[in-house]
Order: sequence, then C-alpha cells, then structure tokens
Amino acid sequence: MTEPGSSDKWYDQPQSPSTEVRPTVERLTDGGDASSSPAGESGRSKRGEDVSIVSVYRHDVHKSRGRSHENAVAEFAGVPVNEPVPLGADGDAALLSRPRGEPEQSVKNHSSPFRLSLVTGETATKVGRIDDGIGSALADLVQVEDPVEMHAAWLDSAVVSIFNESVYYPYTSLKFHTLLTAALVDNYRSGYGFDELYLVVDQAEGEGDPQVVPHRTVVVLPSFALRITGEPGERPGARLGAAPAQSWADVWTRLPEQPLAVEERMGRVIDAQLRRIRSWSTALQFIEESIGWWRVLQRSSRLRGDER
Amino acid sequence: MTMIQQVLLELESDYHGRPYHVSGHALYRALARRVDAATRSSVAVSHGVFVPGEHGGYPDEHSQSGGAPYFGAGLRPVESYEDLFLFRDAAQRWLSASRPRDAQNTHDLRVHGGRIAFSPTVRFGLPQASRNSKRTMTWFVQFYLHDAGGSADSVPLDEDVLDGLRVGGARNYGLGETSLKDTQTVDLDTLDYSTLKDAERSFELELVSPYVTASEYPGADDQSVPWWWTPRPGGLRRRDERLVEDGDVYELETIDHGQVVGYGGPNPVETAKSGVLRVGTHSRYGFGEVRLRPVSEDRVPERARIAATREAGGGER
Repeated sequence: MTEPGSSDKWYDQPQSPSTEVRPTVERLTDGGDASSSPAGESGRSKRGEDVSIVSVYRHDVHKSRGRSHENAVAEFAGVPVNEPVPLGADGDAALLSRPRGEPEQSVKNHSSPFRLSLVTGETATKVGRIDDGIGSALADLVQVEDPVEMHAAWLDSAVVSIFNESVYYPYTSLKFHTLLTAALVDNYRSGYGFDELYLVVDQAEGEGDPQVVPHRTVVVLPSFALRITGEPGERPGARLGAAPAQSWADVWTRLPEQPLAVEERMGRVIDAQLRRIRSWSTALQFIEESIGWWRVLQRSSRLRGDER
Repeated sequence: MTMIQQVLLELESDYHGRPYHVSGHALYRALARRVDAATRSSVAVSHGVFVPGEHGGYPDEHSQSGGAPYFGAGLRPVESYEDLFLFRDAAQRWLSASRPRDAQNTHDLRVHGGRIAFSPTVRFGLPQASRNSKRTMTWFVQFYLHDAGGSADSVPLDEDVLDGLRVGGARNYGLGETSLKDTQTVDLDTLDYSTLKDAERSFELELVSPYVTASEYPGADDQSVPWWWTPRPGGLRRRDERLVEDGDVYELETIDHGQVVGYGGPNPVETAKSGVLRVGTHSRYGFGEVRLRPVSEDRVPERARIAATREAGGGER
C-alpha cells in the first residue's frame, strides 16, 4: 500500500534541516508507513543524534498560525521552526491523536488553529487569558535554549494549549502533540521501538511533586504525572501496543493503577470520560483541563466533594 | 436455547448516577416494581452502557458491514459473538472518524446544586451567524436481560415495562428519565463463534464490567481471581463499588472493568457464553461481564492495520 516516492523521500535525502518537507499525517494515505519505515539501529541513531531535541519542541510552532508544513515560515521569534523531526517520531505522534489518511474537517464551521475544549465546548482562547498576549508568550517559550528547561516550559505552558494539532481535528492539542513527539524521539534515540514503550504513572510522594523525567513526562499535575518510557522499572505501566494509533482509552483502562482520585465523584467522572476518548493529545489535554476546572468548582464551593 | 433481550433506552433528562455505566442493579430496581413476582425473582440485568446516537459504521470484526447516519440510535443485527459487544465498549469504536468522535463520546456535564449530572443531548456545529444549522446528538443506554431462573419465559419483557424507566439519582426531581427506543432478542446458542473455535489460538479476556471479589451483601462469598484468568505483569487494578438497596449501602471490592487478562481455560466458546451471562458475585446485577478475543486480534483496529503495514515494510522497525 506504500508508494515509495513519498515515503522514502525523508529517508533518502541527506540531513538538511529546515528545507526538508517531512511527511505529515495528512500525507500518510500515500505512504502509510512514511513516518515509521524500517531503519536500522545504527542508521537510526546516527540520523537522530544530530538534530537537537530543542528543535523538536519548536517543530510545530507554525501551527499557531494555522499553517501547514509546506507553507510555514522557517523562523519565528528569531529561532528556526518547522525543522524535521528525527526517526519519524512526528508522524507517529500524529497517528496517536488523529486518524490516518486525508484529513477531513471534523467540526463544521471550525477551521481555526484555536483548540476546541472538550470540557466547555468553547474555543480554548475563551477559557483563560494569556499574560502579555499570545505572540509574546509563544516567543518566550520557543526561545528557551536549554533542552531540560524547554521540556519543563512546555509542560507548564498555557499558551500552546490554546492551539490544536490540526485545524481539521480541533479537539486535539498542539501542546500534548509536541510533548508526545519529544517523548517518542527521546525513547527512539535510546533504542526503543514503539512497541516497547509503556505509559507509566508517577505518583506524587508525600507533599512533594511527582517525579518529572525530562523529555519523557507528557503531563504533570500536583498529584501525579504520566510518562512514556521504554524502561518502566517497578512503576505501574501499560503497553502502548504494536503501532501508533488512536488508542488512548485502550491504554488508560489497562493501567494497573488508577492515578485519579476516584473516591470522589468528579474523579470518577473524569476517569469515565477518559475511557471513552481515543485521541492521545485530546485526552492528555482533557486531563489537565478538567482537573483545573474541577478545582475551580471546588473552590467556589459549587461541588460537593464527598458526594457519590 | 439461551435467550437474551437487548434494550436501547433514550435519555430524556439529565442523568445523575454512575458515570461509567448505569448499574444493572439500578435497572433491575426500576424494572422490578413493574413486573410480577416470578419475573422479579428470575430476571438478570446487565450494566447499561452509554451510547451516542451518532454517525458510524461496523468495525472489521463484526458480521455486518457498512454504516448509517444514526448508527448508535438503534440496535443492530446480532449474528456473531462479536456483534454482542458493538455498543458494550466505552470507547465506542464504531464512531466515524470524519466527525469529532471524542467530543461525541464524552458527556457534557451540568452542575445541579453541587451535583454533577450528564446532559442527555449535545449540540454540535454552532456557527455564530446561522441559527438553524445546529446539530443535536442524543445519548442512549444499551443493556440486556436474561432469565437467570431457568424458566426462560420471563424474557422478553413487554415494551411497556421497559418504556419510561428512571435511573440514577434525583429521580424525584425529574432526572434520569428514559424512554424505550429499541429492543430485540438474541439466542446465544445460534450465534457464530467461529473466532473462538480455532483450537490453535490463544485467547484473552476483557472485563466489560467490574468483577466482584468481595461484597458486604449478606450471604455473598468472597471470590478470588478465577483460575482461568492469567493476569498480566503489573497486576490488576481494583476499584470500590457499592450496591444501594432500601437505603442500605453495601460496599463491593471489584477488579476494575476495561482491563485485559489472558485466558487459561479449556473451553473458550462455553466461557464466552457464560461471560455474556456474567460470572461471579452479583452477576445478576451486571457485574462480571467478560468478552473473549483471540490474542492475535487487536482491540484497536487502526493499530493492527498500521502494525501490519510496518511489518510488511521490512523486518526491522
């Protein structure tokens, strides 16, 4: 089912970041495995190493303007963006959250780079204000040069969560697509294939925050963090499966430990919703957003904590 | 003949009950007051799974093919074992990808005086300018009944018994109203179990509803993990549930639904049938429903397809 013309392009060409047009999930119909074509371990690490992980965090910033990779500018706020992501991780991360094939506009009348919220049904820009404006907050974010700080800044960022991953799938989240991409790149570089990866829960211990592992942690909350890793160790984890696909509900329900506070009704409601969501970036965004919404409700005492 | 009766209810008002499913016990209580004593003592009720009334089509494993604009709004033909579970999976894998499937399959929440309830309808596609192009989607609840007493004449129940059931909390305030949308009977013995008959294959079990391991209910014995389960590394996630009867609350310890374990029993077809009729404590009220599946078959069809493409692309990944 693969037409080599498009899928091999990325692999055959020498490294020339920022001029290469990488395959996107939108173009995967003609090259289903474009992003994941076989690559030997040695070739893989060689090709992977010379792209900085910082550029992985910057790779999709052009989406904040609703641009495709083809029409995007190469620079934003003085740093190169839209650079290719190594090891097909971008295509794999896209498949985690969006269907394969030609994109279809899945919400009529909403073809905007602003994300739609599963919690409120509204455009995410209405949910919170971004201090100093979107443009300057984005610029501050992409200008970070230290990789570990960059990861922390994305985990923490509110501005990137107002954008979707694709204008055709407006409930997806640019923030979590990027964090998933970085987690895949980091794992692939360590030699793990997709089918060796786990979703792992890191619980907060005592009063402290949960452990955050640079480039692997994909969402962090006061009580727990979720991480994608090939080395789960003793932590409770569930396999991601043989290949990237919209499989969130499947992986979430198989976790051997429940990270949410399901003794409270709202925790059970969020858990129940997460068992119905299939797109990864939509689900991770939903965790972050719904727990924030829950706290606001509790603070305004409109919610009975003990009610079941 | 092992007859089950599938029922599809339409939600008419906000629902304030269990977020995962409408418990079989709640459905049983609602039915019990409308039927005679013999039926009351013999009928067994599954958990009710929420189904969005939306556009969709059959996933590959089902006996039928094609789709319909309001796929989830009616019961679908059941010819093979897999068809029984079309609407029993929380992820509702039949939902069409050309629509926002995650938004359609998550409930809109409403807060009623501090209580969180689910809205029965959702509106999609709201352009600011045109008033009339809103699309409304309604939620349904799918469950099934069978006769656990063995007489087999209590099922099917009459439509007027099933119409107008009220479920969940705050029923006296008008919440949890439903109406009957569709019902059909299925004979478990005449279904096609061909995917489970290949003796060379190994199988796994998916917990469709929680499996009770301990119950405070008088006379209910504790259960261990059945010997024919082979749990995966990492262990099994457990969750507390409760039964409420006449104001008394009985705590249940359960193994949480949605999990997958290996199957180590000798007779997959028989296990599959008993899994539909449910196993373990409180199985009459919906607990202990399991689905059997060949290990080679992926729960996520797209993933299986992508994995196959990768493999075809060459040995190394």
